[in-house]
This record gives sequence, structure tokens and C-alpha cells, in this order.
Amino acid sequence: MKNITNPPETSAGGKKRRREEEEVGCSHAANDDQCFSLQDELTYSDTSVALRMMRAQFPRIDQASVPPFILQSQLYSSVNDRTQVDRELELLRRDKVVRVFKLNTGQDDHAVIFLDDYLNQVDRIVKRMEGKKQNDTDIFKWFKEHVVDSKLEPSIGHHELCSLLSLGGKVKDEHITLLINAGLLTRQLIDPDMYWFAIPNIGKLWKALLQGRKELLSLLKRKRHKEMFMAELEKKRLRYSPLDMRFHLRDLIGSRHLKTFQTTSGLVVRVSTD
Amino acid sequence: MWQAIQSRETGRTRPNSFSNQLKSRRISSLQLSNRKDFVSPHRGSVNSLQVDLTEGRYLLSGASDGSAAVFDTQRATDSEASGLIAKHKCVFSVDKGHEHGHKFAVSSAVWYPIDTGLFVTGSFDHLIKVWDTNTAQAVVDFKMPGKVYRTAMSSLAMSHTLIAAGTEDVQVRLCDIASGAFSHTLSGHRDGVMSVEWSTSSEWVLYTGGCDGAIRFWDIRRAGCFRVLDQSVTQLGVRPPILKHTAVNNKVSAEKSSSGGKNRLKTPQSKHTGSQNMKGSSSVKASVEKSRQKRLHPGMLSTLDRATAHYGAVTGLKATNDGMYLLSAGSDSRIKLWDTQSGCNTLLNFETGRLQTNKAIQLATSDDPALVFVPCMKTVNAFGMWSGRTTLMFRGHYESVNTCCFNSTDQELYTSGADRQILVWSPGGSMEDDMVQDEEVAEDKDNWSD
Repeated sequence: MKNITNPPETSAGGKKRRREEEEVGCSHAANDDQCFSLQDELTYSDTSVALRMMRAQFPRIDQASVPPFILQSQLYSSVNDRTQVDRELELLRRDKVVRVFKLNTGQDDHAVIFLDDYLNQVDRIVKRMEGKKQNDTDIFKWFKEHVVDSKLEPSIGHHELCSLLSLGGKVKDEHITLLINAGLLTRQLIDPDMYWFAIPNIGKLWKALLQGRKELLSLLKRKRHKEMFMAELEKKRLRYSPLDMRFHLRDLIGSRHLKTFQTTSGLVVRVSTD
Repeated sequence: MWQAIQSRETGRTRPNSFSNQLKSRRISSLQLSNRKDFVSPHRGSVNSLQVDLTEGRYLLSGASDGSAAVFDTQRATDSEASGLIAKHKCVFSVDKGHEHGHKFAVSSAVWYPIDTGLFVTGSFDHLIKVWDTNTAQAVVDFKMPGKVYRTAMSSLAMSHTLIAAGTEDVQVRLCDIASGAFSHTLSGHRDGVMSVEWSTSSEWVLYTGGCDGAIRFWDIRRAGCFRVLDQSVTQLGVRPPILKHTAVNNKVSAEKSSSGGKNRLKTPQSKHTGSQNMKGSSSVKASVEKSRQKRLHPGMLSTLDRATAHYGAVTGLKATNDGMYLLSAGSDSRIKLWDTQSGCNTLLNFETGRLQTNKAIQLATSDDPALVFVPCMKTVNAFGMWSGRTTLMFRGHYESVNTCCFNSTDQELYTSGADRQILVWSPGGSMEDDMVQDEEVAEDKDNWSD
């Protein structure tokens, strides 16, 4: 069965009035036994603060070894100004603090991962491949050194990939096959000639993301007025997704499938009809 | 209001700023007009709207039932409710019953930019027809290789009268009215071209957006496109900062022709060969690529550039009136603002929900409170152009909205959609009623009761 563990370091939440600037949450003392609800800490003041807080809140899933990732739609729901999010994310990407990946969900989903987490994941993959007695593991080193360092976009063309990898040594087609097998590169339906960077071992969580979204939306649509209090919604568990409810809520609010509004008894989440 | 007029009289406010203030107040109070109505003769969804460029008076609409109609926006044909609601019937319309009418849907109807004597319609029956307005006859026909998605004529053109046509064929064709033949064929897109737009700063520059997600800039005086917009080439402000711009373009990329400022055709070729030498790769692939490039005409080198501006098809393009920025709407439900000089994505995020994915949409912009009017499914949203936030939402259509057209002389917004209606959104406010009275509406002053 799925073990959904609420991370014990459920971050220090700050008090929040909806749509107001938020102080950095770390300044408040963290109460470990109290689970801070999402409606109290929906927005943050800054993209990097939001990224760090959400990375800390990423649910720990024991079966899959995936680095904590944050969806771009979650960032949109956490910071008030979307243009500010885009620009700050661009700055962070150029400074090589984070990396952005395009997920193959059919919609415009982008995942943001801190570069250190990503490199750790790549190392883990390399170790696993070495353990399986594969030769030619130099390709991973070249990949890390030349490609990841210089190519900051989520996609790369075939010729460019070959030319960047050949900075390390002679490149053959089998090497690229190795990279695809390791899960570091994929192809998507958009363009047959382009490779897209991917997060290794993302498969399970990717499925969980899609199913969780569907489940949460259908849960709300079944209600008579298609709405529910956020506090109540947070307590529910999703059957098909090990990612916790807060993750999906932030994602759907950011991608405008759900909208929130303030009432006298708290924040209400409603399916958006536009 | 009266104080503003007085301060203009005494010279405290300049006349320009007075009229700008008045215009922006009117625009921010736009709502569904309770004084004006267009009686739409169309039996299908209305795909295209354009107000004429010379007077700002005549509205041309094209619909899916193959009909095109012209309305007079200033003079009503008759009125209802004792003169309070002005009904505007169409001045004339050409439809399937007309001997020269289109057989299938009219996807695009635009005025001849010099005067209202001619208008051009493009239709799914593969024809572009040029009509004479006064006699309502088709003067010239152009046969296209595929369904016509969009036609455009340059409003700045002094020396050419070319109609740019985007069809389901990968090539964009320019048709010349004066000679009746095709003057240019622009190749470069990899899929049909859904939106074409002439530049508002140069009569020779054409922007096209294709179903492959690419936006290309063409200078019709030379071969090939000179820029392909890439959504990953970004700048962090509405104008590129001088120093950062060069730092961004330090990327070693073999085939990106969109790094700013390099318009010469020779440079892409030297960049290719230069980068080949730098990498020192002697693999078979590189030499094949080199020979492939050598075989191509320098104007065709841009076909190798596969950069995309959107993750889906580009469904709408609109250049701002000052010619500095280009707005593009895509079927990935994003609207992006591009700087036309540097070709960079300005990373402005417009809070759109879903946009129509299968049909082209028409965006509208207004200058003074810089707003973008976007049809988002059944509503029309107005976003601030420099903030990306929603300022106004117009709900009134029963089905999805296809086009928005902003009439800046009257500050009115015309929208049309799949519900076959053309709706007018005019500035609300009773102060205007005092100032502007329709003279032809005779008020019966004896018609009152307690």
C-alpha cells in the first residue's frame, strides 16, 4: 500500500492573509506536532523562498528515489505576480541554481529541480549503471561535464548533443542509447529531432501526478456546488497518488483549474468554470 | 469631469494628456453596450472582424457560412425602445447566394488599407477574392493550394499592394492585386501557417506564425526569413539591457539564428562552419551536415532552424502600434510578448486559462492604458500589457469567442464568436450621454407619463 508520510519538518509556516506579501517563513518557530494548513501559507514573497519552502515540503516517498521537484504551476500559485515568477526563475536558471525540465504530460508542465539534487541523482544513476557492469560509463561523465553545464534549456537537438558530447571523446549512437536508457534524455511527440532532458526515475511520480490531478478534480466536481473548504480538503487522502494533497492543490490552483476565494469560514476551493 | 475641462482651458493640463485621460477612463469602463447593437446576418460563426483603417467607421466581418458583411458603426439604420437602442443592420453582405460568393467558410476578411473601395476575403474554398465595395462584385480571384487561414495587407505600404496569405500549405504566398499574380512564395515553415501579420514599423517586414509553433520574420525584399523566434531566448525586461544581452548570447549553438542583432545571411553560414572547426568533430555526421548546408541556398538556411515559439500551433499574432513588440497566442494556451528588435521573449506571463486550440483567434490592443484583449473561450479578457494581470473580463457570448477588434476612435470593442453574434462593448457611464446625442433619433417629448 502506499505510505503517505507527512514530512516531519512540515515547514515553519508563517501567518498569511490571502494575496498579501509574506515574511520568510523560517523566522517563525516550527511546531512539529501541529500540521500547518495550506490556507495559512499559500503565498510567499519571492520565488526562491517559495522554491525552498516547497522543496522542504516535498513528500518523502520511500520506494522511488526521486529528487524533490517543484512544478511551475505550483510557483504560480505561491507567488502573486506570474511575470515576477517567470523572470526570477529565468535568473535562477541562468545562475545555474535550478534546472527546468519539460514533463511529458501533454500539457505545459515544467518541473524545477535544484541543480545539486539533479547532479546527485545523476551520480546515483551512474553508480547503478556501473553496478550492472556496463562499459562506456564515461558517457555520463561527459554528459555531466559538457552538456549539463553548458546547455541550460530543457531540450537539445541531435547534432548539438553529439557535438557537445564529443568534446569529451568519440561519440557513438550506443552512447546516446545509454543515456536514454538511464532516463536522462527522452524524446517527445513534438519534434522527432529533439531530445528533452528528463528526471531519472520520474515515471512513478509522473503517473501519480496525472492520476492525482484527475482524482482531485473529480472529487470536487462530484460535490453539489463543485466547491469545498480548503481545510477539509487537505485532510483527505488521495488514493491514486503518493504525492500529498497540498502538492496537487498548489498545482491545480496555479494552472487555473481551481480557484480559491475567501469566505468568513476560511478559504474555499472551487472548480473553475471559465 | 468639468474640473478637467477647466484645467485644460486654463492650460494646467495639456490637450494631449486631457484626451488621453478621457480615453483611458472610457476604456476602463467598457461594458456590454446597452445603446448599440449589430444585427448580424450571418448563419455561421463569425471568424473575422476589422474596422477600416482610414475612417474607423466601417466594420467588415467574415463568417463560416461563406458570407461577409459590412456595418456602419456610427450611423444606425433604425432604433428601438424609443431611440435608446440603435440597431445597426449591415450595409450589404455577400454570401453563398451571390454569384461570386465563396462556397465554404470565410476565414478572414480585411479592408484594403488605402481606402474602403476594396476588401479582400480568404476562404476555406482555397480562394482569395478581392471585392469592389460599391458594386459588391468580386474583381480578382487568387487560387491557393490549400484552405486559406488568414490574409493580411500592410497598413504602411507605400510601394506595394501585396496580400499575404497563410494557408494550410507550408508556403506563405504574397498575391499582388495590381498584376493579379503571386509575387512571392516564402518557404520555411514546416506546417500550415495560421496567422500572418504585417509589421507596423516597416512595410517590408511580415510576421508569420505556423502550426509547427514557429514564428518567422520575413523581409520580402530578400530571400528567406531573417529571424525565427525561440521561446528560450529571453530577456528580462521589456527592453534588452545592453550588457546582459551580449552575455546571454554567448551560447555556443550551431543552428540558432535568433540570437539578437545578427541579420546578415552570411553570418549563419560562417557560424556553422566556425563552430564546426571549434568542436573539431570529424565524425561523418558533421561533414554530411556541411554538405547539406552547402547545397542549400543561403536564403533557405533558415529552414534548418527548428526553434519554436510555442509548444503548440501559433493561433494569433498582433503587432503593437509602435512596432516594437509582437504578441503571439498559441494553442498551448500561452500568450507571449516578443521584442521585435532583439527577437527575445520578454517573459511576460499573461494569466490566461485556456485558449481555443483549433481555430485562429484575433487579438486586439489598445494604446493608452496599454491593454491586450484576448478571446479566452467564452469570455474576452483584457490584460495589462506590461503587467500581465487581468484588468477586465467581458462575459456576454454564449459560445466561444473568435475575434476581438478595438476601435480606438470611439473606444469601443467589437467581439464575435461561434454564437454568430457581433457584440459591442462601449464605455459605460451616463456623463457621455449628456455630451453625445444621436441627432437622427427624434425624441418624442410629449411621450411621457407619471
